[in-house]
Amino acid sequence: MSAARIPRSPKVLVGVGIVGFFVILTVVGPWLAPYDPSSTNFLPNLTPSGSHWLGTTSLGQDIFSQLMVGARATMVVALVAGLVATALSIIVGVAAGYLGGFPDEGLSLLSNVFLAIPGLPLLIVIDSYLPASGRSNSFVIGLIISLTGWAWGARVLRAQTMSLRNRDFVEAARIIGESRFRIMMGEIAPNLLPVLASSLLFTILYSIGAYVTLAYVGLTSTAVWNWGTMLYWAQANNAPLSNEWYWFVPPGVCIALVGMGLALMNFGIDEFINPRLRAGGLSGRLRRTSGLPRRPRLGFTPVMHHPQAQTSGSVLTKMGAQ
Amino acid sequence: MRMLLRRLSLYAVTAWVAITVNFMLPHLMPGNPVQTMIGKLTGRVTPQQVHAIELSFGGLKGNLVEQYFGYLHQLLLGNLGVSITLASPVSTILRSAVPWTVGLIGISTILSFVLGTFCGTMLGWMRGSRLDSVIPISTFFQAVPYFFLGTVLLLVFGLNLHWFPVLGAYSPSVTPGLSWTYIFSLIRYGELPVITIVLSSVAGWMLGMRNMMITMIAEDFVLMAVAKGLPRRKVIMHAARNAVLPSVANLSLAIGLVVSGALLVELVFNYPGVGNLLLQAVLNEDYPLIQGIFLIITMTVLVANLLADVLYFILDPRTRTQAAV
Amino acid sequence: MIEEFATLVDPNDVDDAVLEIEDFSVDYGWGDSAVHAVNNVTLSVRRSRVLGIAGESGSGKSTLVYAVTRLLRAPGVITGGTARLSFDDSSSSTGQMTTLELTTASERELRKIRWSRVSIVLQSALNALNPVLRIGHEFDEVLKTHRPDMNKSERRQRAAELLALVGLNEERLARFPHELSGGQRQRVMIAVALSLDPQLVILDEPTTALDVVTQREIINELAQLRAQFGFAMIFITHDLTLLVELADDIAVMYAGNVVEWAPARDLYDTPRHPYTLGLLSSSPPLSGERRELVGIAGSPPDMSKPLLGCSFHARCPYALDRCSQEAPPLRVIDKTGRKVACWLHDADNVVPGPLRRTVRISAPTQAVNDAVSGSNQAVVL
Ligand SMILES: Nc1ncnc2c1ncn2[C@@H]1O[C@H](COP(=O)(O)OP(=O)(O)OP(=O)(O)O)[C@@H](O)[C@H]1O
Ligand code: SF4
Ligand SMILES: [Mg+2]
Repeated sequence: MSAARIPRSPKVLVGVGIVGFFVILTVVGPWLAPYDPSSTNFLPNLTPSGSHWLGTTSLGQDIFSQLMVGARATMVVALVAGLVATALSIIVGVAAGYLGGFPDEGLSLLSNVFLAIPGLPLLIVIDSYLPASGRSNSFVIGLIISLTGWAWGARVLRAQTMSLRNRDFVEAARIIGESRFRIMMGEIAPNLLPVLASSLLFTILYSIGAYVTLAYVGLTSTAVWNWGTMLYWAQANNAPLSNEWYWFVPPGVCIALVGMGLALMNFGIDEFINPRLRAGGLSGRLRRTSGLPRRPRLGFTPVMHHPQAQTSGSVLTKMGAQ
Repeated sequence: MRMLLRRLSLYAVTAWVAITVNFMLPHLMPGNPVQTMIGKLTGRVTPQQVHAIELSFGGLKGNLVEQYFGYLHQLLLGNLGVSITLASPVSTILRSAVPWTVGLIGISTILSFVLGTFCGTMLGWMRGSRLDSVIPISTFFQAVPYFFLGTVLLLVFGLNLHWFPVLGAYSPSVTPGLSWTYIFSLIRYGELPVITIVLSSVAGWMLGMRNMMITMIAEDFVLMAVAKGLPRRKVIMHAARNAVLPSVANLSLAIGLVVSGALLVELVFNYPGVGNLLLQAVLNEDYPLIQGIFLIITMTVLVANLLADVLYFILDPRTRTQAAV
Repeated sequence: MIEEFATLVDPNDVDDAVLEIEDFSVDYGWGDSAVHAVNNVTLSVRRSRVLGIAGESGSGKSTLVYAVTRLLRAPGVITGGTARLSFDDSSSSTGQMTTLELTTASERELRKIRWSRVSIVLQSALNALNPVLRIGHEFDEVLKTHRPDMNKSERRQRAAELLALVGLNEERLARFPHELSGGQRQRVMIAVALSLDPQLVILDEPTTALDVVTQREIINELAQLRAQFGFAMIFITHDLTLLVELADDIAVMYAGNVVEWAPARDLYDTPRHPYTLGLLSSSPPLSGERRELVGIAGSPPDMSKPLLGCSFHARCPYALDRCSQEAPPLRVIDKTGRKVACWLHDADNVVPGPLRRTVRISAPTQAVNDAVSGSNQAVVL
């Protein structure tokens, strides 16, 4: 995969920028927090000010500190869940697609069953039976989320593996007698990379949504600060109804921005996988000088009469007429 | 036909898995939560109801296999246990809540699919035009949690601007029945929840359809439609008719995701459906109700999946003569 | 060097042309990265006649015809030239000929002449037919759009007639493309192409994807249909042998240029351009014994760079000094109206033997081998 082939459209760059920003926040967020997010030392229900950028909760906690500290828990759980789910989907999807036959039937059935069961209700049921120790353990929550989120990736990877399996280079490796495992890891895996990246982005996106939702309905420990528990407390204290927008809007917008960044990055991968999606646009200057339309229209091939072509053409006509 | 049969058997297996998971979960958890719960029941519900709850968990006697078959037996009889907080049979509670959810999510999903497919078709066809700027914006809505968007909309357009009546499924001053005032009230109260679900889910359909349109436009048969001198609308239809197939194929899978998000919208708008009920049940640790709701949601989603598969079957003639796709 | 020829058909007699392409150029892309796929091509298609276009893969045959009909996809751009389509305007009762300049036509004008005047058959009918629509729909939508006064049963009637023309049962109307064989699909495409009695049918390698027997059947059917309905055809193929039976005139393209354009039989029997000669020696003979096929050494030039001199000079066995400096224009070289773009036919040159013959040699292998391997001596001659 050469660097030149990686699309660099503005959409993708913005996506990378947003995600990069939040990744940095994950690392430095807790240090940036001016106060302990749980400490109730301040006056309750303060509106935003210089000392409390986002005001305080009805318990007198600093909201900005919660947002900063909460970034880490949210992103880490999403990442853990996303990685574990992707690992599961690679194992199931690639094996099913490569082995074919009976193992494929079984593994496909497994992923289809997991796809058909609605994820959130299942998560809620599992979570509601978890003892409190489990609920406050981010790792356990991440694992459970990954359990409901791997099936989509497995399906996509299976399809891609099946199409790769029949291509020449894999055939060639098989003929020279490489072992199945070597072929899977050496030949198929690298060609799955773009599909894999896309599936990872979407699994992380799903995991953030699932984690935040669980926290919002009070199924994770409310003592662990993440953007979902912030929304939970804001809701529980009627922040939306009392117009305390600075309490519930920032975490929601952060969640949406991370997701948006991931989705924008995925445009790049889409264009990489499907060249038809790559824009073949004209620069503004060229469009003006050549008189070409901004957007190609099917069935209306543009005609560009640049002076050079005209003159050389007429010379030839004269010669042809001799 | 083979394809439909395959899907049908898949859903049968899925239903069985869901039912079994539902049974196993309380037994797998450390500390036997069912025993603990039943121990705490005295005084809250009648002894008969305690018995019904015990039965719905497969009875407390015998080994796991016997309990499993006891549970299946009760399920066949329609005994999903008794809600601890509401002190009435879970099946009765569900019967009044399910129609609200099916109505709300069903209508929103159909609207969102139709709208997203239409916008995606136009975006794909007009690619390179100024309309493209909609795309990055739409990813924001794709990523925002349903309940958060719902809260913001509720606050801005419901409580502050008073454009939409909110909280509940119809005006408290209207008596339910087959009257125009009731129907009108239903529609008015449904608007903002529907808008929330549509806004949150439309981007997925739109972007998927756009990509497929761009892929399809590169196909020969679309060029042929142009070469035939067909009006633009018909050319677009040639491409769209094929581009929509992957969306429809994904419809059955996406329903689960939409339902997951939409359940929380009910909570935000205090809509009387199963989503709202589920979250109340979670807060109250009302296990019989939680499990009943999980089962009913799963079964409903499976039925919706099957409907989506039938739609695909109708739209793609190749599935009718070839082996499963 | 002008010889006496049996036929005196003049391909330059453009008064009777359905389509006149003049000085036509097409690029893919723009600016520095542009690929000049078609360069200053002049061609015309005579009424009710068949123009064959032959040439190696990538020589710009498809690009030319799609660009002329304005169907070429982005990043294709027409960078110069004109293309005039002439047709009887049925709306004017006098039966006068109307001419439409395709490069300046509006989308509306194009839509009106598409399929009713010019129709197209593509190489792969499987891709050209919409997979989710019934065969009947293909006919129906065309008739509905261009013949709004026809009612449903008339349209069906017409579709059945058209299918019968290509030897298919009307029962096929209710079928989907994937339910037909490759040959049947291509027949359907031909029937659809004829549904509005067009003046011109463009066939871009319509038989390449088919087996030899089906290929032959379809070519015969096309010849019959043309005799019956009198439409003109542009028939694109790699296979010169196939063309010589069907075509009246043949144009040979190389690297975006027309290098030779002549009456079909003349071009086949007595080629005058070194590339035509090479192409003939690399295609199987029309009839008679099998012979060894000789390809043309080398590969076509990179068309994204400006070309100096004759586009064929790097591969040409007869290349002269000036060939690498000046591009030869396409000029009439004899009384048949044959046009060739090659400096060898300039007055002050001696034309090498294989390009000078007046009759076809019965055992072409010899001559062809001469042409290719004995090239250097030929130049000295
Ligand atoms: N989209 C494109 N972008 C850039 N170059 C292109 C594109 N499409 C075609 N070309 C180039 O234009 C030239 C002419 O292609 P064209 O398809 O017209 O050839 P052809 O004679 O029809 O070949 P074939 O017999 O294989 O169909 C080729 O050299 C090709 O590489
Ligand atoms: S012009 Fe020169 S190089 Fe070109 S074909 Fe003729 S002899 Fe060969
Ligand atoms: Mg071609």
